Amino acid sequence: MRVLLIARKNLFSERTRLAISVGGIALSVFLITFLLSLFRGWNEKVGGFVENVDADIWIAREGTTDFLAAGSFLPVEGVDERLSRIDEVERWSPLIVRPMTASKDGTKMDVQLVGYDPVSAIGGPVRIEEGKGVPGPGEVIVDEGLSRRYGVDIGDSIGAGGRDWRVVGKSSGGDFVASQTIFITFDQAEEALQMEGLATFLLLQVTRPSRAGLVAGMIGNADPAIVTMTGDEFAASTRDRALGDVIPILTVILILAFIVGLAVAGLTIYTATVEKAREYGILKAVGFTNGYLYRVVFEQSLVTGLLGFLLGAGLTVVLGPFTQQLVPQFVILVRWQDVLGMAGFTLLMTLLAAYVPTRRLAAIDPVAVFKG
Amino acid sequence: MPDRRVILRMHAVTKVYGAGDAAVTALDNVDFQAQAGEVVVIMGPSGAGKTTVLTIAGALLRPTAGRIEVAGVDTTGLAEKELPAVRRGSVGFIFQSFNLLESLTALENVRLVISGDTATARSATNRARELLSMLGLAHRLKSLPKQLSGGEKQRVAIARALANNPDLILADEPTANLDSKRGREVMHLLRQIAIELDKAVVIVSHDHRIREVAHRVVWLEDGRFRSDVVTARDTVCGQVVEVEAAPMTSFNGQAFYFCAEQCLKLFEANPHRYAGTPG
Ligand SMILES: Nc1ncnc2c1ncn2[C@@H]1O[C@H](COP(=O)(O)OP(=O)(O)OP(=O)(O)O)[C@@H](O)[C@H]1O
Ligand SMILES: [Mg+2]
Repeated sequence: MRVLLIARKNLFSERTRLAISVGGIALSVFLITFLLSLFRGWNEKVGGFVENVDADIWIAREGTTDFLAAGSFLPVEGVDERLSRIDEVERWSPLIVRPMTASKDGTKMDVQLVGYDPVSAIGGPVRIEEGKGVPGPGEVIVDEGLSRRYGVDIGDSIGAGGRDWRVVGKSSGGDFVASQTIFITFDQAEEALQMEGLATFLLLQVTRPSRAGLVAGMIGNADPAIVTMTGDEFAASTRDRALGDVIPILTVILILAFIVGLAVAGLTIYTATVEKAREYGILKAVGFTNGYLYRVVFEQSLVTGLLGFLLGAGLTVVLGPFTQQLVPQFVILVRWQDVLGMAGFTLLMTLLAAYVPTRRLAAIDPVAVFKG
Repeated sequence: MPDRRVILRMHAVTKVYGAGDAAVTALDNVDFQAQAGEVVVIMGPSGAGKTTVLTIAGALLRPTAGRIEVAGVDTTGLAEKELPAVRRGSVGFIFQSFNLLESLTALENVRLVISGDTATARSATNRARELLSMLGLAHRLKSLPKQLSGGEKQRVAIARALANNPDLILADEPTANLDSKRGREVMHLLRQIAIELDKAVVIVSHDHRIREVAHRVVWLEDGRFRSDVVTARDTVCGQVVEVEAAPMTSFNGQAFYFCAEQCLKLFEANPHRYAGTPG
């Protein structure tokens, strides 16, 4: 579509105003896509570890909801015997998880201490990036998120659970943004955390993962003292725990950002229209229809919106990785669906912004242009 | 001009602004015609209803009563949304304050109304260029209104009025914002347009010089055309005034009439200068 001559001239003859309205929309688009991408990034990370654990079913003590606030104790004794009666269960493995504060040279670090069974490796590091793949006695593998944030490196010593651990490897996939996972063996965790004979979770693999939900329900129904969830359910509720409180706040900020963009665009387009009221009157007098005038204003709004969107979305894409390097907590995931949605929102913004002056346009009296 | 085409026909037109106590009868049952090839000048005091006649004739304003025909189309019978097309196709407006679009060049101002802004149509550009050249603005095509003199602006406005080759040209005080030389140029241009392009040209003016170019001068007062009016020229400001109602004085045995007391005072302070007698 060709932009009408008048729309183009009106827009580009007032550079400052154009800059303000494009800037307003761009800021709004940037804020929204940036925050949304941040949210997506967090969401991905927070649920990512649980999703990647090779377990179809998680068993915990009744009342446990998620991985991060894991205050569950389950006796390990007798589990073997009970689970062996269920054909569908192929394998199981105990996991100890304890949120705690670790320290390195006096620096406090929020971690999820994970004790896993190195034989089954279920619940262990998702990927080893560097160093040893399995921690030995007195050894720990830390998530690379921890080394990025606190400079923890292989060979360092960190304190956790009243002991010192030597860092022997770095893994990835265990970054919960607000805390990171560190891994020791199950035996070491039992001992260090005084959890002899106990586990936080029991992780099950079943013969047919598609029936995991059914099996989980069956096991859960048999014992009121425990709760069972499929891997996906557990990942979802972990996400919800970490980000559930953020969503309403985020929603409010996104709405505010939208309103700011709308207000800036609406005001500049409105004042531009009012300022040009006489020229619109002239156009009416010489035979242009109201519809044409609406189109002029709408196209101005649309072009402003397009420029603002490109600038704002561009900023997110360009600045995203950059801010991520500056601030480790910024985990930015730009999804094309979000960008597309944002384009839709910008369109809505420009439509609303253009709608405001239409009544004003309709009210312009062309006869007024006869006055000197 | 016996078998001339009548372009504008206003029959029994009344216009009342407002309602109730605030009602103002701007036009009171007037009849008016303008033919192709003629220049009709409407004169009269301020508030007489001159602009009202033009805006009603140009389908910008609806009359309270009466019938208007422009180039054979009964505009009073048309729906509101059909009027813009009449204005665009059959009427060319020329205003006192030029009313060009400030961010458009001379060429674009004219081209805009031809193409309706929908295309870069070469034919529209060519016609706009031709018109502007005809009006002596070939070297000003790319100029913005603010770079043009008043006379040039008014010529661009005339080119715009002619753009869609309308039969009727309506001009409201087209020379009021111009000095006398440019004003005279514009008036002669309008006469030329009437004769050579066979348009009906209706001009509203206070300017006595406009009589040079008029085929017909009509006097509007209190919303009515009057044929019995004797007019004279205010020698101080140049306006045409109605003898009957104007302040007057005698000098050297001759009567002088003025538009207002101010002009009379100026005259009395220096009668030789304004009476055209050697002082
Ligand atoms: N929109 C309006 N509402 C109310 N009254 C109006 C309106 N427009 C004009 N009038 C009144 O109608 C009368 C005729 O106005 P009009 O503008 O036609 O006069 P005019 O002859 O063009 O005057 P001037 O020489 O000062 O331009 C005046 O009394 C004016 O006050
Ligand atoms: Mg007037």
